[in-house]
Amino acid sequence: MSLFFSLLQTMSFFLVVGYLYCKSPWFRPLANDHLAVKDKIQLYFFFSGLSILGTYLGHPVQDALANTRAIGPVLAGMIGGPLLGTAVGFTGGLHRFFQGGFTAFSCGLSTTVEGLIGGMLHLYLARTNRLQDIFRPDYAFLITIVSEIAQMVIIVAVSRPFSEALELVRIIAVPMIFTSSCGSALFMSIIRDQREMRDRAAAEFLSRALNIAERTLGLFTRGFDAKTAESMAGIIREETGVSAVAITDTEKVLSFVGLGSEHHLPGTPISSDLTRNAIEENKVVFVDGVNDTFVCPISDKCVLNSTLIVPLTDENRVVGTIKLYEAKNKRFLNMNKSLGKGIARLLSNQLLISRYEQQKNLLVTAELKILQAQVNPHFLFNSLNTIVAILRKDANRARELLIHLSVFMRKNLNRKKELSTLEEELAHVNSYLTIEKARYENRLTVVTDIDQGLLNLTLPAFTLQPLIENAIKHGISNMLEPGLVTIKAYRENGTAIIDIEDNAGAFLEKSNEDGLGIRIVDKRIKLVMGNSYGAQAHCVPHEKTLVRVSIPMEDVSHDSRINS
Amino acid sequence: MIRALIVDDEIHARDELEALLLETRSFSVVGKCDNAIGALETVKRDKPQVIFLDIQMPGITGLELLNMIDEEIMPMVVFVTAYDVYAIKAFEENAFDYLLKPVDKHRLAKTVLKLKKKLHDKSPNAIPGTEIRRIPCVASNRIKLIPISEVEYIRSNAAGVYLVCSQGEFFTEITLKVLEARSNLIRCHKQYLVNIDHVDEIVLQENQSAIIQTHLKKVVPVSRRYLKKIKDELGI
Repeated sequence: MSLFFSLLQTMSFFLVVGYLYCKSPWFRPLANDHLAVKDKIQLYFFFSGLSILGTYLGHPVQDALANTRAIGPVLAGMIGGPLLGTAVGFTGGLHRFFQGGFTAFSCGLSTTVEGLIGGMLHLYLARTNRLQDIFRPDYAFLITIVSEIAQMVIIVAVSRPFSEALELVRIIAVPMIFTSSCGSALFMSIIRDQREMRDRAAAEFLSRALNIAERTLGLFTRGFDAKTAESMAGIIREETGVSAVAITDTEKVLSFVGLGSEHHLPGTPISSDLTRNAIEENKVVFVDGVNDTFVCPISDKCVLNSTLIVPLTDENRVVGTIKLYEAKNKRFLNMNKSLGKGIARLLSNQLLISRYEQQKNLLVTAELKILQAQVNPHFLFNSLNTIVAILRKDANRARELLIHLSVFMRKNLNRKKELSTLEEELAHVNSYLTIEKARYENRLTVVTDIDQGLLNLTLPAFTLQPLIENAIKHGISNMLEPGLVTIKAYRENGTAIIDIEDNAGAFLEKSNEDGLGIRIVDKRIKLVMGNSYGAQAHCVPHEKTLVRVSIPMEDVSHDSRINS
Repeated sequence: MIRALIVDDEIHARDELEALLLETRSFSVVGKCDNAIGALETVKRDKPQVIFLDIQMPGITGLELLNMIDEEIMPMVVFVTAYDVYAIKAFEENAFDYLLKPVDKHRLAKTVLKLKKKLHDKSPNAIPGTEIRRIPCVASNRIKLIPISEVEYIRSNAAGVYLVCSQGEFFTEITLKVLEARSNLIRCHKQYLVNIDHVDEIVLQENQSAIIQTHLKKVVPVSRRYLKKIKDELGI
């Protein structure tokens, strides 16, 4: 009976080891469903250790040991398969062999067999597609009983003298079978519980992340502004349960929800150095509230003391930050830290996608516009009408105009190139202007002043014509006196400038026609040449409208590429 | 001879149409105008029988211009367009005559026949009246288009019709009658229309007339005859 309790004691010790093991980082391989070779080697050492420990903690009975050595090999076999089981069993067995005694060989052999039996169960479950069952404690219980019975049989069969072996088995069989099986089962249930706990945590994390992804999807396609930021911050706060969430652009707070929202006001400039730091260096800033605390720069009554600041980027350029806060009485969860970083990545991607969509739409609009210009029927028939009229008075002039019209139409129809030189643009515009001047005669005057050194300047094709069309439309529309359109090209601080000016001052930014024309030109230039260039309108009502186009000069040298 | 007015913003288009009209020997051209104000003025002064009207003109379009002409002196209309798919469809549905630029003289001959028939029948013009949204005015060297919503009030006297807005006072060729019929301006006096949205207060007088003060602190008289209507409009 005392043997029975001693073995139970040993088993309890094993369970403590098992518990500690599950809390240690070495447990991680067991949390996954597939074991790498590296993981198996780790498991080999652990379970071999366990097996050897079983021998050491055994209780001497008749020059032999009553022990719980079997637990290690059987579990190793169940979890890792026959090879691992046999290897652990052999190691434990070898160790037992060197301990001596009349059962040295039989115990060594039987331990190896026990590992193999555990492994066979693993193999069986794998073959019948029930691998999820290898962590079942009841299976561990049963297979350990089988293993221990096998051991008893081997002892009786192999150990000599036979009568002593039989006597030994009679004493140890029941306690060993019982305690080892219980130990295996309990050990296994510890492992299984730990695995399920990890799974649950992972599942919860995953479901929160997916919820956020789903709810925020497409929110930023409407633009990154205060309104979308507010919905975004609300969603993030709901899903993560942190004390407060803020979203900023690079200068001011766009939205703030949660604790402290009465003094952290949207629209106010960014006040914390941490945020500025995150923006400037494009890095994640985390203040855990324990080693380091977040001190609110606005109010000393602020309860927030830990924060995670993640930059939002749009093609590596920081456009803002997402900030998660926790109050003094709450710990900043690791899960929320990972979630915060993930959200920022997700939103950055969304920004990128929405910008890509925008550009795609813009290009489509631009193409449509160009297409329209190619076959603008109004222009065509009015021009023909003008030529018909002039034919009565001056056949030569009519002929010239027809040729200009052909040149203009041909260029419009053939234009496939994305880029063009200023010279080509001006030639195209010249044909157009000759016809327009004929249509309006003395109501329209056009003055040009072009720096001849800029003729090789590269610019997006179709940049000038729509702007000049706008200027003419205004110049002759509401004017009782003649309209004057001036076109200038010159250099200024290393940039090429093209000015198109009319004396009507009738530019309406909100008008779709005026606004769209210049916006398309501006965006096409920015797309090709970069954001520091473009087209801008300055209007002095009733006096003049000036559209200024700026183009980088360095492209002047690339003209050979364009012409080829 | 049919007295005709040509309205087109392009000089050659006007010249060409004039030449074609004269070739038919059926027209005398009383005027050629390149903008809405000139056209309104000529219609009032010379009362042409037919107006050849370009639809697509910058500033005020041909259709807008028609809305500004007093019905009593409304000439017959022949629309002229280079390319207006939608307008052409509308003309055909409403049996209006139209010409396409460049104008074919055989097509013009048909128009002449139609016009003569209409003149003979004295059939009235059925130009659909739509709302006037902007009033063309003369302002020093340009034509100003003032939205109705900005107009405080309009007054007429022997010299003509003047509209008053925050930018000042401008002469317009449109009559009070047309403006009353085709806009939300309200008659408050024989010689005044007022924009009800700009009324600040109404001061009742002893002789059952009243005075309106506008937001710009201008004073507009309300005659006895129109006072009730004004009160109804304001829900008093």
